Amino acid sequence: MVKNITIFTTNTCAYCAMVKRYLDSKQRTYDVVNLDDHPERQAEALALSGALTVPITVVTKEDDSRQVVIGYNLAKLAPAITG
Amino acid sequence: MTQDIPMHDVVMVGAGPAALSAAVYTTREDVDTLLFERGVVGGLAAVTDKVDNYPGFPDGIEGLTLADNLRKQAERFGAVIELGEVSGMKREGDFIRLETTSGDILARAVLIATGSDYKKVGVSGEQEFYARGVHYCATCDGAFYRGKRLVVIGGGNSAVQESLFLTRYATHIDLLVRSTIKASEILQKDLEQAVKAGKITVHLHTTTDEIVGQDNKVVKVVGTDTKTRSKVDFPTDGVFVFVGLKPNSEFLKNSEVELDSIGFIKTDKHLQTSMPGVFAAGDIRSGSTMQIATAVGEGATAALVIREYLDGKLTPVAETTEEVVVPTV
Ligand SMILES: Cc1cc2nc3c(=O)[nH]c(=O)nc-3n(C[C@H](O)[C@H](O)[C@H](O)COP(=O)(O)OP(=O)(O)OC[C@H]3O[C@@H](n4cnc5c(N)ncnc54)[C@H](O)[C@@H]3O)c2cc1C
Repeated sequence: MVKNITIFTTNTCAYCAMVKRYLDSKQRTYDVVNLDDHPERQAEALALSGALTVPITVVTKEDDSRQVVIGYNLAKLAPAITG
Repeated sequence: MTQDIPMHDVVMVGAGPAALSAAVYTTREDVDTLLFERGVVGGLAAVTDKVDNYPGFPDGIEGLTLADNLRKQAERFGAVIELGEVSGMKREGDFIRLETTSGDILARAVLIATGSDYKKVGVSGEQEFYARGVHYCATCDGAFYRGKRLVVIGGGNSAVQESLFLTRYATHIDLLVRSTIKASEILQKDLEQAVKAGKITVHLHTTTDEIVGQDNKVVKVVGTDTKTRSKVDFPTDGVFVFVGLKPNSEFLKNSEVELDSIGFIKTDKHLQTSMPGVFAAGDIRSGSTMQIATAVGEGATAALVIREYLDGKLTPVAETTEEVVVPTV
């Protein structure tokens, strides 16, 4: 079971809009960390993903385990938010 | 068994400006239309920072906003956009069968508007540091380079436009250009300003040979000045690559659709391909001028022609276009 979902985004990132669109279509709620508004949280996004890119989607499960999806990747995002 | 397979009047492959524009026209005429999009709805227009030359927006418009507006307009009339990929296509009686990530579907007509994707430079370090120092989308990843140095590779419109965008984050950009700058005059003027302001240094006749990392980070690009034949090091925190585009037509390799020598789709004057009932519009079409305005125009034309085709009124034209030199992007 998914406990919460956080997406790291920027203002100009089109793939971030696609992740939100996909989660909306699956009636999932999520928090957004906009790195243009919060550049101090870039290091956190990097530490979680190992990547200098957005979107980074962090799916936290009920047992506090985490799944991190880099980019707009439906093959990874779809299974991450189910189960 | 065809009767179990979903059927549509028109399936559009891609949901960039060309297909979204076509969908506005087909759906307004109640033609049942399904679009497949494997990436971003709005296509390359959505990942472009600012579009200054799309008519109707005197102050320019953000690419993402334009893309979103195009999507909303198509959806308002009933276009359905499925997030998925088309991987193959063949004729089946009066229909065209498309293989997709959501299973097979049948269409009476197909519009291919798959545009193109960024090419890689093909040097050592490029794959290894992908998304960790090597990038292909400035609007996605530029924000990670606030106060840092960058190298941008390329000399066409995209490379210059994206370098200018990246100056909002980076302290300095080395622009490595294999031969000479081939961007539009207006972009070249903006580039001159940025060079004068010390934000960008242009290195003409400079090839990119290697992207070098240390401690898991990109630290420099090694190039060659082809005039002096000397190796040059460009210390950097990251690299953005804009060395041209390759057509998204791999999924047509085993189909009846004829491609030109680069992989763009040949069409006749009705935008119909060599496979009857299959049309192409926008950047993927051989001879396209690779602009949003022209993609939108071709999308509208294709939609009107498809309606004629569905009504059985389109007279087939055998010959396809001559191969055309593709403009640099
Ligand atoms: C950096 C940059 C800046 C630009 N700036 C400008 C500008 O200022 N003004 C201007 O007019 N033009 C500009 N352009 C060009 C413009 O973006 C394109 O001409 C336009 O987007 C072409 O539209 P299209 O619909 O033909 O293709 P695209 O926009 O490329 O859309 C094609 C879509 O098809 C999808 N697709 C591909 N294959 C498949 C498949 N097998 N299954 C499902 N979906 C698939 C892709 O994911 C993509 O979303 C720029 C381009 C770039 C790269």
